[in-house]
Parts: sequence; C-alpha cells; structure tokens
Amino acid sequence: MSLRAELLAAWAVVVRNALMGMRNVFFFFELLFWPIVGVLSIGLMTRFLGLTPEQAAFVLVGTLALSVINVCQLEVAYAMLLDVWSKSVKHQFMAPIGVRHLTVGAWLVGMLRGLVIFVLLSALGAWAFDFHVLAPGLGAAAVFLFGCFLTSWIVGVAVCALITLFGSRAEAFAWASVNLVLVLAGIYYPVSVLPPSVAVLARAIPLTYFLDAYRAHFGFPAEFPAPIATGLAMSAVYAVLAHWAFRAAVERARRTGLLLKMSE
Amino acid sequence: MSPAAVALAIDAHEVTKTFRSGWLRRRETAALRGVSLTVERGAIFGLLGPNGAGKTTLLSILATLLVPDGGVARVLGLDVVRDTSALRRRLNMASGRPSFLWSLRVEEIVAFYARLYGLSGARLRRRVDALIEQYELGPHRRVPYSELSTGLKQRVALAKALVNDPELLFLDEPTLGLDPDVSVRVRRHIAELRREHGMTIVLTTHYMREADELCDEIGFIKSGRILARGTPDALKRQIGLGDVVALKLEPRPAWLGEVPGVLRCAEADGWIECTVDDADKRVPELLRALLADGVEIRNLQVREPELEEVFVELAR
Repeated sequence: MSLRAELLAAWAVVVRNALMGMRNVFFFFELLFWPIVGVLSIGLMTRFLGLTPEQAAFVLVGTLALSVINVCQLEVAYAMLLDVWSKSVKHQFMAPIGVRHLTVGAWLVGMLRGLVIFVLLSALGAWAFDFHVLAPGLGAAAVFLFGCFLTSWIVGVAVCALITLFGSRAEAFAWASVNLVLVLAGIYYPVSVLPPSVAVLARAIPLTYFLDAYRAHFGFPAEFPAPIATGLAMSAVYAVLAHWAFRAAVERARRTGLLLKMSE
Repeated sequence: MSPAAVALAIDAHEVTKTFRSGWLRRRETAALRGVSLTVERGAIFGLLGPNGAGKTTLLSILATLLVPDGGVARVLGLDVVRDTSALRRRLNMASGRPSFLWSLRVEEIVAFYARLYGLSGARLRRRVDALIEQYELGPHRRVPYSELSTGLKQRVALAKALVNDPELLFLDEPTLGLDPDVSVRVRRHIAELRREHGMTIVLTTHYMREADELCDEIGFIKSGRILARGTPDALKRQIGLGDVVALKLEPRPAWLGEVPGVLRCAEADGWIECTVDDADKRVPELLRALLADGVEIRNLQVREPELEEVFVELAR
C-alpha cells in the first residue's frame, strides 16, 4: 500500500468518526458536561477539605487525565464499536483497510476531542481553582497530555481486540476497562498509598509514570526514576502488543465467522 | 498460471468450512463440504440453494471475509487467504440486508468507501456524484442512512459496491425485500454492469425467475455441496423434469396418467397439468387419444418447467 493510500484510509476513518461524533446525542455530554462536572465537583471538594494548592493541583491533574483519557479512549474503541452497532463490520473489512488505519484514524479524532477537553478544563481550573496546567511549562503539559493520549490508544485498541474476539458482549469493556487503569495508575493519590500487590500492577501502567512526572512540577517529588522515558518505553511496548492483539483478533474472527455474525 | 486459469474469475477446489460454537459443549456445523467451482470472467453466475445451504459462506470465503478450513480458492488469479490485500482492491460486495453507519448521509457513506479505495479530491467528488446519479439517489444524498427506505438502502449498497469499479462483484440476495418495480430496475442494472463493463458477477438469490433471467450459469448448493451446475436450460434438462402440458378438458379422463410418456398429472385451478418426457412427441399422441375418447379440449398450453421446479427437485 502506498503512503498516499495509507494516509487516505486513515483520513477516511477520521472523517467518518468526526461526522458520527458530531451527530451523537451524547457528544455534548462527553465533550463538555461530564468533564466540567468532574472538575467542578473535585475542585470544590479540595476546597471543602482545605487542601493546599499543591494537593489540589495533584487531585485536579488526576481529574484532567480522567476526562481526557475517557473521551479519547472511547473514540478509539468507536473504530470497532460503530461498525458493530450498525452491523456494517463486513463492509468495512472487505475494503482495503487495516486495523492500523482504523485505530490511528479514530485516535486522531480522539486526540482532537481530548485536546478540546484539556483546554476547556485548564481554563476552568485556572478560573475557578487557581490551578494552572501550564505552570510547569508548555513542554511538561504537552508530554503529560501525550502520555494520556498514548494510554487512551493502548486501552482503546485493546478494547477493539476484545470486541472483535467476543462480539458486542465485550462492549462493557469500552467503558469499564479505562476506569480500572485509572484507579491502578493512582488517579487521585500517589502509587505509594496502594497495597504492595496492587502497586506492582500500577508500575506496569504507563500512565502512572506520566502522572508522576507531571505532578513532580507541582511540588510532589517523583516516585520513579526517569518517569517520562519509562512511560514512553512502556507505551511503545504496549502499543505494539495491543496492535498485534487487534490484528490477531480480526484474523480469528475471519476464521470463526464472527466477522460475519457481527454484521447480521 | 495457465491461460485457462487466468480466464477464470473464480477457481475453487474442495473448499471446506466448519463453524464451531459453544464453550463447554462444542457444536460443529459443516457449512461447506468440499466445494469446487469455476466461474469464467465476464459471466453472471447464480448460486442457488435453500437456507443454510452454504451460499453466503462460499461467497464470504471468495470475498476474503472468511478463511476456509481446507481447499484452495483463487479469485481473479489471487489466493483468497494469502493475497487478501491485493484482492480486496479488485472486488466488492452488496448484500440484500445492507447496513451502514446509521447517522452518516448517503453521500458520506459512498465517499467513506471511495476514500478507502484511494480516491480523493475532485476524483472522489466525481465518483460519488456519478454513483449517486446512477442509482437515482440525488434527492436523498443528504439523508441519514437510518431514514432511508429498504429500497433506497439497497441502492446505497449497490452504489458502495461499485465505488472501486470492481472486476468481480458479489451480490448476496440483491433484490431481497425490494418492491417489484425496483427489483426489475436492479436486475436490469446488473445485466448492464456485465454488458457495459464486462464485470463478473456472482449472485445468490431465492428468486428463481431472477436467476433464470440474469444468470449464464447456475450452481445449486445444498448441505455444503454443489449438487448441479449449468445453464438454466441445461439444468432443467439435466434434472429430467420434462415439459409441462396444461389442459382444460371436459370431461376429465381417468386414463390420462397412464398414457405412455406421461410422467405425472395434477389438477390446479381447473387445469390438468401433465408432465411429459418430451412435449414435441407426446402432445400429438395425447391429442389423438383425447379426441378418440370424445373429450372436448377447451385449452392447451405447453411450457418448460420453471427453474423453481428444478430447485424443489434438487432441494428434496
């Protein structure tokens, strides 16, 4: 496949997901309502508990990550879910499209939506709670955001693989799996407060390191050495594994006939 | 590859497929039990058979949607398992129960698939416009898919199936659920595709008249095996159903079924339908016998058996 054809196939998915997203009645809730409710409720809770500005920033960083990852990951899962829901899986996989086009195209839309949420919530955080995401610098914020996007891609592609393996029965993973990852990664607390056995799992999640690195700029010493490098390296490995799993799931669905069943 | 093999759009040998289901109690369903099939380029080939015969399974294997368990299938000279990427660019499919993303509009659905086949910019717009015009979807181009009627959805599926100008087109029950007038237009269009574009078309259908009208050749599939294949006329002869002589007589003679060459007789709507081995030979003999017995012949019609009767015979 030529580079032009590769880009066009991914672009086709970008256009498709963007159009579907804009016509989704939940679009407003996903993009604005839930993220704003999240930041406001958590921010007000930090005020009620009388947390220091550093502690409030620690928690709000978690809220920000949760909102961005939730939306971006769901968009990646839509790469498969939209076709499962509309029973058009067979049309999709009869066309010259690979899982890379599906996931990358959906991820691009997810990143755009995630960026919009990040900007909105950052503005809200600054206005309502004096929490400034750019205080550590643009570079640090960008790396943190990129870490969130990488996590979203990995979880989203893994969800796509599960849906392709088990059909619409695995739909619940699309909403549930990311929350498990967020809980393990220390979304509102440092990994050190987790029980040792759970902390081992937390160390296997790239987001743990991106959160750690970003929070270090808000007065909390990093728990891990070279967290950004560790998070990136780990993400690369998981990204390859998730991609391989999705491809293998599609091939299995071709053998078992699930690809056709999902279109009936 | 031999020149003969290159002239074939489909060349499948002993293709098998078994579906397995259930975790604890494994169930196995043999969908294809060694299907061999060749289809020449530029032909319209019809695949007929009862529900669950294996038609869609075979079509799906040939369209790279399903991997066979055994056997070899080459489509347009390419292996359906090894050469999937190259093959998908050259074929396409439309099914009788089409389904696309519900809130995309007609033009967006066609454009989505056109992009997947490498079209962009002005070429993309021209192709989308041409297909929308060809299938008379102009007034509906901005209508969401979920709001279209069954007939319009089917037309969208056909437009999508032609977006890459395929060399081989699979049509899985293309007129299922369509109004008769729309079905006639779809059939006319299928014939045009072959006539004007030299496209090879493989279709499955439950409508015998459709197969009779459109197909150069027909394959009857049942329980995962192709039981018979040939031109519609050859199949009728091959099955040995004979010709049907329909008579309106007064009175009805009791001896009609005992005349040599008469295979069976049945009454329906005031007509006596006698199946004979050869109408040219038996009609004069029948007439002579009836006149000699003083039977009044009020009406007489001779017809070949319908493909439907061949189907019923084979599906028995």
